[in-house]
Order: sequence, then structure tokens, then C-alpha cells
Amino acid sequence: MTSRIIVLGEHRDGRLKKISWEAIGLGRKLSAELGKDLCLALVGSEIEGLAREVSGRSGLEVVALANDHCRHYTPEAYCEVLAEFARRDNPYLLLLGHTYQTMDFAPKLATMLDRGLIPNCVDFRSTGGQLLWVRQVFNGKLNLEVSPKGDPPYLVSLQQGAFPASEEDLKAPPRVELRRAGVADDLLRRKLLEVMEAVQTKVDLSQAEIIVAGGRGLGSKEKFQLILDLASALGAGVGASRPVTDGGWLPKEHQIGSSGQTVTPRLYIACGISGAIQHLVGMSNSGCIVAINKDPYAPIFQVADYGIVGDVFQVVPKLIEIAREMRP
Amino acid sequence: MRILTCLKQVPERDSRYKLNQDGSSVLEEDLVFETNESDLYALEEALRLKEKFGGEVTALSLGPDRVSKVLRNALAMGADRAVHLKGAEFERGDAWGTAQAIAAAIAPEDYDLVLTGVQSEDMAFAQTGVVLSQLLGWPCATIVLEIAFEDQTGTIEVKRELESNVLERVELPLPAVLTIQSGSHPIRYATLRGIMQAKKKEYRVLTVSDLGLSAESVGEVAAKVTHHRLLAPERKKQTVMIEGGAEEAARTLVDKLVNEIGVI
Repeated sequence: MTSRIIVLGEHRDGRLKKISWEAIGLGRKLSAELGKDLCLALVGSEIEGLAREVSGRSGLEVVALANDHCRHYTPEAYCEVLAEFARRDNPYLLLLGHTYQTMDFAPKLATMLDRGLIPNCVDFRSTGGQLLWVRQVFNGKLNLEVSPKGDPPYLVSLQQGAFPASEEDLKAPPRVELRRAGVADDLLRRKLLEVMEAVQTKVDLSQAEIIVAGGRGLGSKEKFQLILDLASALGAGVGASRPVTDGGWLPKEHQIGSSGQTVTPRLYIACGISGAIQHLVGMSNSGCIVAINKDPYAPIFQVADYGIVGDVFQVVPKLIEIAREMRP
Repeated sequence: MRILTCLKQVPERDSRYKLNQDGSSVLEEDLVFETNESDLYALEEALRLKEKFGGEVTALSLGPDRVSKVLRNALAMGADRAVHLKGAEFERGDAWGTAQAIAAAIAPEDYDLVLTGVQSEDMAFAQTGVVLSQLLGWPCATIVLEIAFEDQTGTIEVKRELESNVLERVELPLPAVLTIQSGSHPIRYATLRGIMQAKKKEYRVLTVSDLGLSAESVGEVAAKVTHHRLLAPERKKQTVMIEGGAEEAARTLVDKLVNEIGVI
């Protein structure tokens, strides 16, 4: 049997996450290129309904790995189920989204399988039947080509938004293989107690037409006032990258990125933000992105439409002045 | 409580990188190194737990001589002792190769808790802590923002960050490994007194043979993945770079936003 490419789908509230549709998109491409079958695996307790829906939509065979311990995610139950599946099916490649959940369990799964995990990939090249994965290193300033050593299964996680999603509804007859997986009770040491909202969000930036966001480069809470002033001059919403909310310069609810809000304004002005990937995933689909940063190599410039290499404390006051002239 | 905190030394955030001839690594001579930020948050959590519940905090780092700066700083911040895993064999490992070395350093000790940062700013594996927990056979929780310790039951309760403004609270028995997210508590600075005291604290250097390991079981040789070339990232967009002084650049930018794009 030719070993397959398997996308490990991630779902929440009965829906497959966008990143999993992106992984399916890449899976289709690799499947054609390598001549290997593609299928999707889902882990959960009552998972068959979602499996049928996703199979019908994608036209892929879906393996539904069902276990009562997997009603809510825990790394131990998930890894037991997935390790058993991987050992039995011996896939060629396991493709995952690089999500917080993947970060929590996939390195454990890889270690159980005596394999490495190539995380957060943004691209791939295929050379002589071997896949070379491209991932970001050194704060996004360099890319690194990585390949797995040894035999399959290979484990690779994909950066969110790096590959186009394959979401069209193929209206295919569902093909679902339901497997009841075993998990020994004594393996489950980490217990989920509660899931809660991080902050009561009073600031909804998802509808903002313009967002002015500031980052570490502002330096202090006092100096962050500059961002508030530009936002007010432009009638814009105020956003921030993680160091700003970590430092208490602005409440957490203004944070944009993987652990905060995802925004798509018509105009996003990033001031003193270097552009860590955790921030970029929350704003890179904005209509027009302006970056102002003193470091010409800052990764924010990789996604910007307009860039100014300069000191935010000189450029932003000028912008405020001009904006006030325009909107008296 | 006996706590081990793993700290990695990484190039400063604003570094500019030059590659060696075959593009396999960055040239170190022009780089300035500092402690990986989320690892400092891990150390801060360790010191807070010690202040509350007593015990001892050990700081561990792996790397060449320059790594001593990370460990001296950790001692000055309040760690009680330092362990430096040193030797060419440890170098250029992936999460697996590095975790093997740390696991061997942990084996003869009786730590209750191992804390690491969520990920390093240079290689960004985001998995050394998790691989380590599996090698030790300990439970693990990643992306942790808060730790509460229950003295009676010997368990810890942690708040973890999930995506999209969601947190979860989970409970784990000790010993356990936690990877700490940035922003939990502000990182303390080393005081002058701390720096003076650090000089008298235990600083152990351990080599591959001290750990009872073979050179093949750690570092690049043991790695599960092969690192090839480093490359400059491809631009996703044609960025228009606006030149000139602050005022000129600001005027040009606004002109483009108003007249070319129409977004203002």
C-alpha cells in the first residue's frame, strides 16, 4: 500500500478551522505531485457528523477517530489516539496547522513516534522526490530550508495563512471511516477545568475602516499616546502588538494577532511594530498596510504596501499634523 | 518546590544577519546576544513561586562560553544555581537533540517543575519543552499565563492561552513541564545586590560525558531534521518604500493614501 498524506483537521464548536482547509489545499497539491492518496483525520467524541460534512464538501475520505476522552481536547488523549492511528496506518506525511493546539500536542506526538516535527512552514520545494520545507527563523528575518531525517511518517505544521485554502463545496458522497480508539484512563494526567474568555471585549476592531497600531518601538505607556493621537486625528481604531499589552501600555483588548483580534480594515498603519508572525496573522489581510519602523529588515515590511524606514517619533507627529489639517 | 528554568541565548531582536559562505549559518561576530524573552518570563514565574512556597530555582542553558552571560544574569535576578551544558556536541541541535541533553541533566535531580519559554526567537521550534516532557514522561502544559500551586494535593493549576481571546484552566500533577507565554508578570531587573550575590552562587559546567551521554545522542547528530540553507524571505507584496525626511515622507504617504488608494 502506498502510504498516504494525512491532514489532521482541527475543529472547534463543530466546525473545521480555516487552517485545516489550507492544509487540505496543500495536501491536494502534494498528493498530485507525489502520487500519494490524501485523506483527512479528525479526533473527537461524537465526530461522525462533522466527518460526513467535511468529506462531502472536500470529496476526501475522512477517518473519524472517536473516543469519549476526546470530547474536550487534552494532549494525552489526542496523542494516544493519533499515535495508534499513525502506527497502524503508517502515513507518509501528517500535515497540521501550526495552531496553539498543535503547539501543545504535536511535539509530544512526534516524540512518541520517534520522529521530528517541522513546525510553522510557509512554503515547500520538491527536489528529487524529497520535500524541502521552508520555515521562518530569526524573528522572521530569514527563512530556513528543512528536511526530515529517516523514514516516514513525517510531521509538518503549516503557518496560518501561508497556503491557499481549498474550501469549495464539491458536494461529493461522504466517505467516512469511523474508528473507535482506545485510551487508557491512567494516561490522562492533565485535566481540563474550565474554558473562558480572556478579556471581556469592549473594543471590537473587526468593523474599523482604519486602524492605527503601535508596537514595542513606542517604548513606554507615555509615548504610546502618540498612537492614540494619530488614531483620533484619522478617526481610526487603536490596535497594538503583544509587547504593548504585555507591558500594560494598553488594555489587552486592543491586541491584534493570534491571541487577540483578527482585523481586515481598509487601512492598517503599523508604527514601531517589527511584525512577529503572531501579529501578522491578525492583520495581514488588511486592504492597505503601511509600516513605519526604524529597522529596514523588520518583517513587517514584507507584508506592507507602503513602508517608511524612520523614527516613529518624527514621522508620526507629522502624520498627526497633516491629518488634522485635512480633518479640522 | 524545586524548579528548573531553561533559558536560551538568542541574537538581539534588531540584529542584522550575515550568512556564512554556504548559507548554512549566520555569522556570529557582529551579533550581540541576549536572553530569549519568553524564557525570562519563565524565570520570573519560577522566582515568584519560590518566593511564595519556598524552595530553589536552578537556571539551565546550553551553548558556548557566551551563554554564561544568560546564566549570570539569571543568578543576579535571583536563581540559586546555574547549570551550563557546554561542548561542541550540543550545538546545532533541533528540539529533540536539545531536549535529550536537558533530560539527561534533569535525571539525577529531583525537580518538581521545569519551566521554559513558549518558543525561541531565533529557531522558533516552539517544542523543546514539550519534547522534554515526553522524554521525562511528565505531563506538560504550553502557553501558560498563570500558575497556582496547591500545596495539599501536590498539583498545579494553570491558565493557558488559546487562540481568539480564549483561555483554559487545566490541572496537572507534579512533576510537570510548563512553557510560559510572555506577559504573565513583568520581568524583574537584576539589582546591584543581586549581581554581587550571583558571584558566590554555584555555577556548574556539564559536558556530554558528565551527563553520561554519547556524542551521537545530542545536538546536530541526534536531530530528527536536517537544516539546509538560510535564505532571505521572499516579499509577499511589492512594497513601495517612501524616502525622504520625516515631513516629506509623511506628506508623500498621505498623498498616496488619499489620491492613489483612496483609503483616507
